[in-house]
Amino acid sequence: MTQGLQAIVDGILIGGVYAIVSSGLSLVFGIMGVVNFAHAEFLMVGMFVAYFAWAILGLDPLIGSLIALVVVFLAGAGLQRTLIRPILKAPPVAQIFLTVGLMFTLENGALLLFGADYRSVVTSYQTESLHLGGIIVSMPYLFAFLMSVISGGLLWAFMRYSRTGRAMRATAQDPMAAKLVGINTDRMHQIAFGLGVGLTAFGGAVILPYLTVYPTVGSQYVVLMFTVVVLGGLGSVAGAVVGGLAVGVIQALSALVFPMQLQNLVLFVVFIAVLALRPSGLLKGASA
Amino acid sequence: MSLSSSLGNAGTPSLRTLPCRPVLLIAAALGMAGLVPLGLDPQGYTLRVLTLTLLFAAMAQSWNIVGGLANQISLGHAGFFGIGAYTSTILLRDLGVSPWLGMIAGMGLAGLAAAILSVPTFRLKGHYFALVTLAFGEVMRVIANSWSSVTGGPVGISVPFAPNSLWMFQYNTVRPYYYVSLIALVLVSVVFWRIKTGALGYRLRAIKENPDAAEVIGIDTYRAKLMAGLVSAVLTAALGTVYAQFSYFFDPDTIFGVASISVRMALIAIVGGVSLTFGPIVGAFFIIPLEEISNAALAGRAAGLSAFVYGALLIAIILVKPQGLLALFGDLYKRLRKESSR
Amino acid sequence: MSAETILQVRGLSRRFGGLTAVNDVSFDLTRGEVLGLIGPNGAGKTTMFNLLVGIHRPSSGSIRLKGTETSGLKPNRIAKLGMTKTFQNVALFQESSVLDNVLTGALLHHPVAQARDAAHEMLRRVGLDHIAGKLAGDLSFPERARVEVARALCTRPDILLLDEVMAALNAVEMEEFLALVRDLRKDGLTIVVVEHHMQAIMTMCDRILVLNFGGLIAEGTPREVAHHPAVVEAYLGKAYTGDHGAH
Repeated sequence: MTQGLQAIVDGILIGGVYAIVSSGLSLVFGIMGVVNFAHAEFLMVGMFVAYFAWAILGLDPLIGSLIALVVVFLAGAGLQRTLIRPILKAPPVAQIFLTVGLMFTLENGALLLFGADYRSVVTSYQTESLHLGGIIVSMPYLFAFLMSVISGGLLWAFMRYSRTGRAMRATAQDPMAAKLVGINTDRMHQIAFGLGVGLTAFGGAVILPYLTVYPTVGSQYVVLMFTVVVLGGLGSVAGAVVGGLAVGVIQALSALVFPMQLQNLVLFVVFIAVLALRPSGLLKGASA
Repeated sequence: MSLSSSLGNAGTPSLRTLPCRPVLLIAAALGMAGLVPLGLDPQGYTLRVLTLTLLFAAMAQSWNIVGGLANQISLGHAGFFGIGAYTSTILLRDLGVSPWLGMIAGMGLAGLAAAILSVPTFRLKGHYFALVTLAFGEVMRVIANSWSSVTGGPVGISVPFAPNSLWMFQYNTVRPYYYVSLIALVLVSVVFWRIKTGALGYRLRAIKENPDAAEVIGIDTYRAKLMAGLVSAVLTAALGTVYAQFSYFFDPDTIFGVASISVRMALIAIVGGVSLTFGPIVGAFFIIPLEEISNAALAGRAAGLSAFVYGALLIAIILVKPQGLLALFGDLYKRLRKESSR
Repeated sequence: MSAETILQVRGLSRRFGGLTAVNDVSFDLTRGEVLGLIGPNGAGKTTMFNLLVGIHRPSSGSIRLKGTETSGLKPNRIAKLGMTKTFQNVALFQESSVLDNVLTGALLHHPVAQARDAAHEMLRRVGLDHIAGKLAGDLSFPERARVEVARALCTRPDILLLDEVMAALNAVEMEEFLALVRDLRKDGLTIVVVEHHMQAIMTMCDRILVLNFGGLIAEGTPREVAHHPAVVEAYLGKAYTGDHGAH
């Protein structure tokens, strides 16, 4: 019983991070209609930025995460301009392989630059935890979760209340109409892509205190992130939150039953099943 | 031609893009391909690279049936490739079964896997199909890694040593593997060409361009896609066995790898010219030697360089010439002719 | 003419969420007749066609084609049973040649080589053989519509549903098309047309069904329908003064 509860708590704490990491992917698809296979690599980039912010400047990754957000936002906006914009109207095969190509260059670029070493940071709260009843809440997990919640809240407020956020949503709903009312959709795409990859990098940075970074770490998250967004409905940021929590809990619970290596298998099966049964996402199906 | 219409358009047979009488050209190329190994060291590096090139050309050609003709972008063909490699190798290791029989068993299993996979995927298009196939390849990789008692787990599996024999598909020189790969490439290309110019090819093009209209004029879209998927999977599995025998040793992360197999197969087809019969061949002769040269030049010092080059190439091809190298050569040829006639 | 009922539609309905696009429609089709399906925009004509050929599943009701229940079957099965349609906005295989488009239709009954012969013959019949090698995407709208008709005919249907194929035809092309329809009915083909061009409908059809808001509001000969009070109010009064060829 406690074991199950503990798993659920762990699942929610991790799921919160999955939510923020994946909402970036969903944002990009929702606003631009591009499925970015390279998206998980930005998590790796975010982790490296935070790592070097810690190693060189001595900054805690939770603060480094802001640097990761800004740096990757700018990089993303630049990538959108050079690589993504030309394929916006291209058929899926072009979009798939351009972003797959980007995935390889990022992953192996990191390998060339930093080598295959595993790196991790040292923080004061790394091994600390809260004991609530029989439940143990690990501090780095809790911090990562809280950072995710805060950034998620800010994203929500930004999309809802700011001029830019509303213009972005208008662009997503009807690009032609958005253009007619004077919205610079190109700029919106740039911001959306930058923000999308930036959020994912941010998510990567906040989990650095309890994980290690290495160039291929992103590949661990590719299917996971897609599972999250597909669960919630590709393109729906709110769906990504629900999907993220769901995947976190599924993962934590399956860890009780299955050996380590098979946990991913559970995730893949969930993923294939969801895509097969409800490609538009579980949430969307209920409301439509 | 705009980017949106250029990718994945089958249109006219690729033979027309060739400058000379195609049959003669193909015969000459085959004759040359048959003679080349005689002038090379039978154990040598060059022959090895050429064998890999032919093998990967054949693999890309089988991918081309699904990814090109049926326009179903698979990112999980490593799944079928690995099924072929593991099935024949396990049968050989545990029961001493000839790899040729093991190949047939692997083809059967891969066909079964493709049929099962078609149930959740047949309605999926574009990104969604790519995502599910990606997950399929990963599922196979995870299974191979965790089912250690049968697959040998993450450490990999070796083909048991046997003396030279055709029946046991084992040789201590590269030359026989070269010929097997060459024959495999020819066979797969013939299958591809037959499908492309046959009824199934017409049906697949119709589905690609307008699935509703295709159904309404009597095309069973599910069946057509399933046929393409099955043929492609089965051929890929057979090539998995060839690879296993050729390389003697493999592990789950290589044989089921997204980068090492799935994307490489697709990349070769795309670089050469997707859904063109000669696309994968041109692509393979470009990609594989390039990769070998860059790896050799940096002698393992720069891990990841070849994959980095891949990525950059993919991006460049998609942005510059999404129809692939064959189309690029076609353009150059036309331009040259124009200039020489001036 | 023998009065063989080739198609029997009973209580056919289709709802999309809260919208009822086709509402409890029943009618029969006699072999060899030309039936017109008219109604204002959004009346459910195209949905009706999509239900008949299996692109949409009926929410309720039955469709019997030559005695076989077809509701719930996939379009390719229904095409094999002998009913096909053309698309309102023309759905050719754009990157293929005119010949290949038509050939693909003929594959329903022939292997490739014979299908090619059949396609050539059909193109000659509809007067398109001079553009057989052109890419479908490069054709004008009237040409595309005719290629689509040729492709549909190559599936050798008993019933052909034509969804606004005459839009944008000029007077000469219109005449040619009406001649083709006369020719086809001589072969025993049953045709249902959705068309905004009232004059063409009135000349070519034996019988007309009028749909409004998804329901059948009138049925009869062209003359009867034209004077039916409900039709005049719902449709003709407005449509006659409006622009017919806009879609």
